[in-house]
Amino acid sequence: MMPGDDAQQKIEAYLGRLRHILRDMNPVEAGEIVEELRSHVLDKAAPAGQVTAAGVDAALAMLGTPEELATQYTTDALLMRAEISRSPIRILASLFRWASLSLAGFLVLIASIVGYFLGGAFMWCGVLKIIHPQTAGLWLLHHGGDTWEISVRLGFATVPPDARDVLGWWVVPLGLVVGCALIMLTTHSSLWCVRRYRQSLSLERL
Amino acid sequence: MKPPRAPLDQESVNKWEVQLRKGCLELAILAALWDRKLYGLEILRRLESDSDLIVSEGTVYPLLSRVKMLGLVRSEWVESDAGHPRKYYALTPAGKHRGREMAETWARFSTSMSQLLAPLAKEKKEK
Repeated sequence: MMPGDDAQQKIEAYLGRLRHILRDMNPVEAGEIVEELRSHVLDKAAPAGQVTAAGVDAALAMLGTPEELATQYTTDALLMRAEISRSPIRILASLFRWASLSLAGFLVLIASIVGYFLGGAFMWCGVLKIIHPQTAGLWLLHHGGDTWEISVRLGFATVPPDARDVLGWWVVPLGLVVGCALIMLTTHSSLWCVRRYRQSLSLERL
Repeated sequence: MKPPRAPLDQESVNKWEVQLRKGCLELAILAALWDRKLYGLEILRRLESDSDLIVSEGTVYPLLSRVKMLGLVRSEWVESDAGHPRKYYALTPAGKHRGREMAETWARFSTSMSQLLAPLAKEKKEK
């Protein structure tokens, strides 16, 4: 049975919003999700007879908001991709999508960016020490009197003459190990947060 | 020293029950699809009629998508008399295997728990 104009508009508005939120997902997958929900709403809104605007409202309310639904699909896809590849770039790309849907996603994204940035900086510091042995590494900079500053330097700028290289060549293995550990810890923590959040969403709506 | 009080309020009991139902949901979906292919709304209705699982519609569709990504079910679009196509789900061989394994685990677990809980149930009857 074809829905009336008002009912059709409500369905299109809801599915249009959902399609927009899922725009970064594989277009075939996103299209299937949207069409399946359209089919569900039409079945649900007209158990016997004409699809009415009130029936559509009730059916859409039972599904939840497009944002809530999209969050479940998005976090599932993120976790599924993470099972296949633990690439920080893939994880960050998925977290960007999640961050636009919820505050929890935004906070996890910020924490992940900081974690990956620090991990990357430590690793680069270790690698660049080999290329710039006189200027890269962990340095103690003297600002006069008793004021000292610890600085991780990648070797692209000169070092003041009274600065001290704290770790020397040890920064190479330590930078690589600490950097790797930070990146792995960030990946693990991000996925743990996503799993917990995903689980809480299911429980809320069960 | 006073012994700590166990938080036995209704809310914590409800939360525990929701966790329990959530844990069964994947098995329930595989069981609903065991002997025939069904579309989303039919799965929801079957869960409601054949079990005590009343699942939100906003939960079941993402879950169906997830079990499909895991390769446990496959889907196909079928034209219907209602005038719009419906997406039917059916178990894959991997889904059948997973369903059998989960059902065996469930049977073992529920038998042992029933034995353990028998005195509690008996006490409740006597009251």
